[in-house]
Amino acid sequence: MTNNRFFKFVLPWIDTLTLAAWGVLFLKLIITGQFRLLIHPNYAGLVLAAGIILMGVSLFKAGQLWKSRRRRIETSPQVQHITIFPPGWSTLLLLITAVLGLSIPPRVLASDTALQRGVTEALPITQTQRQSFRGTIKPEERSIVEWVRTLNAYPEPDAYTGQKVDVTGFVVRNPDFPDGYVLLCRFIITCCAVDASPVGLPVKLSSDQLDVENDTWLRVEGQMMTETLNGKRQLAIAAETAVEIPTPADPYKFAD
Amino acid sequence: MNQLYNSFTLFLSLLVEAVPFLILGVLLSSALLFLIDERQLIARLPRNPLLGSFVGGCVGFLFPVCECGNVPVARRLLVQGAPTSVAIAFLLAAPTINPIVIWSTWVAFQDVQVVLLRIAFSLAIATIIGCLFGFQKDPVPMLQPELANRVALLAKSQPQGKPSPQKEAVPALLQSGTFFLDQPGQPVRLDEAIAPVVGITPAQAKGRNTKLRLFVDNTVQEFRELGGMLILGSAIASIIQVFVPREVVLSLGQGPITSILAMMLLAAVVSICSTVDAFFVLAFATTFTTGSLLAFMVFGPMIDIKAIGLMLSIFKTRTIFYLFAIAAQLTILFTLSYSYFF
Repeated sequence: MTNNRFFKFVLPWIDTLTLAAWGVLFLKLIITGQFRLLIHPNYAGLVLAAGIILMGVSLFKAGQLWKSRRRRIETSPQVQHITIFPPGWSTLLLLITAVLGLSIPPRVLASDTALQRGVTEALPITQTQRQSFRGTIKPEERSIVEWVRTLNAYPEPDAYTGQKVDVTGFVVRNPDFPDGYVLLCRFIITCCAVDASPVGLPVKLSSDQLDVENDTWLRVEGQMMTETLNGKRQLAIAAETAVEIPTPADPYKFAD
Repeated sequence: MNQLYNSFTLFLSLLVEAVPFLILGVLLSSALLFLIDERQLIARLPRNPLLGSFVGGCVGFLFPVCECGNVPVARRLLVQGAPTSVAIAFLLAAPTINPIVIWSTWVAFQDVQVVLLRIAFSLAIATIIGCLFGFQKDPVPMLQPELANRVALLAKSQPQGKPSPQKEAVPALLQSGTFFLDQPGQPVRLDEAIAPVVGITPAQAKGRNTKLRLFVDNTVQEFRELGGMLILGSAIASIIQVFVPREVVLSLGQGPITSILAMMLLAAVVSICSTVDAFFVLAFATTFTTGSLLAFMVFGPMIDIKAIGLMLSIFKTRTIFYLFAIAAQLTILFTLSYSYFF
């Protein structure tokens, strides 16, 4: 009997709280901009709408529960549960997840994920046919991703030798590279962090930067050159300066 | 520790992507309660398994939801007495055969052939499986026991249901619908027996306030039940993502058969929503055969770890296993013959 009472009176309030927690989580991700660590900004509107709907539904429920707190709840039609979980289990799972999401900020994916997903110097770009190709962009204004795209369009490394480079990215030490070479990487997100693919270019570091660690964010300026690494002729950056920078607030590149 | 943190981030990212679509599906399913008189709709659905499953597959076009959103809708259809073939075909085809997915596939690939083949294969597989399951006229043995028990119990406690006057004029067996015949006395129509299980009969929905309340209650209930399943599925998918190197999946093969198998495995593991999976698979366009990309886009929306979680709220494990096995085999058959002939 007590069990029944619990389900009738407490559970609806926990449901309402859970909905509110998810609403707050979504709104918080949007307001703080942290959603950019999780999904492509194209879906921000959807997340915002979901947050608002969840808050709205939870407010409505709360109002309804408050009004009916004295009256005996009209035989609520939703007493019957069709679920493989015992009642309350699913709500609890949702609530715990929302609370975890609110208290633990999403992590910026780093070299371990890059290595696990396999960085290559030129991963396939995420659109087979580009709507536009800006060939006139100045070399020193290209990001790593734009360099990789350019390289995919015209792969001959010699064509770029001597061009100026100014890029930022995080360091991935490739165990197969000779000393002094690291990969400078960026993640590209097409939809959400689950599909983030790392792209990178090899960098020949100047002598004072040789012990740079994995995941250090660098701004590298220098020139393009052709190198043979692991028996493969490819484009590499000869760094003139490599300055350590803090992890950017918006570390991912998004496919368009 | 880092790995755990990574998988938590991926887990959150999957949820942030999927929950808005789940809400869309739940709202749609709740709106169905009031916008469409399901009994009429269901009465008009063809009973013929082949035609029924084809129509069920095409009904997806009306519901722009991905695999997170179609489960509540399919469950409602099934519970309201839609033929098994229609519900199953809808469940399998709806995530692919809908305007948003077709549009996003087109935007990603800009290739008519890929878009058309994706639609054709999905519809064909959904129709075939719907047809197969259509031979099982009574869906109860396939459903989760709790739901099935309740149906049986209700059927016993009120063997007559509440037939409306004009229905009484027609012998029960001449009406369309699914019936329980094993009870003594009148056969019981399935949707009448089961309507109280879902909680709401159309007769209850009178007055705007009551309607709104029922709408919200239903939304909350479905969000709660399916949200829990979504969390379980996403958790498993993100753990596999982090702890099994993607290269293991990709190195499974470059050959025509192994690449198809590898992409299907990837589709099931990644559990990405069908509305956006075309963009994801495009990243593999240069390394994998077109056949295997199609396999990803046909199989992924039907079966993936996240969706299996959701489907468990409707079907028994064994039913899901059959769905999984048949869908996988048909996908291989279709995409392999595409690779072979083109």
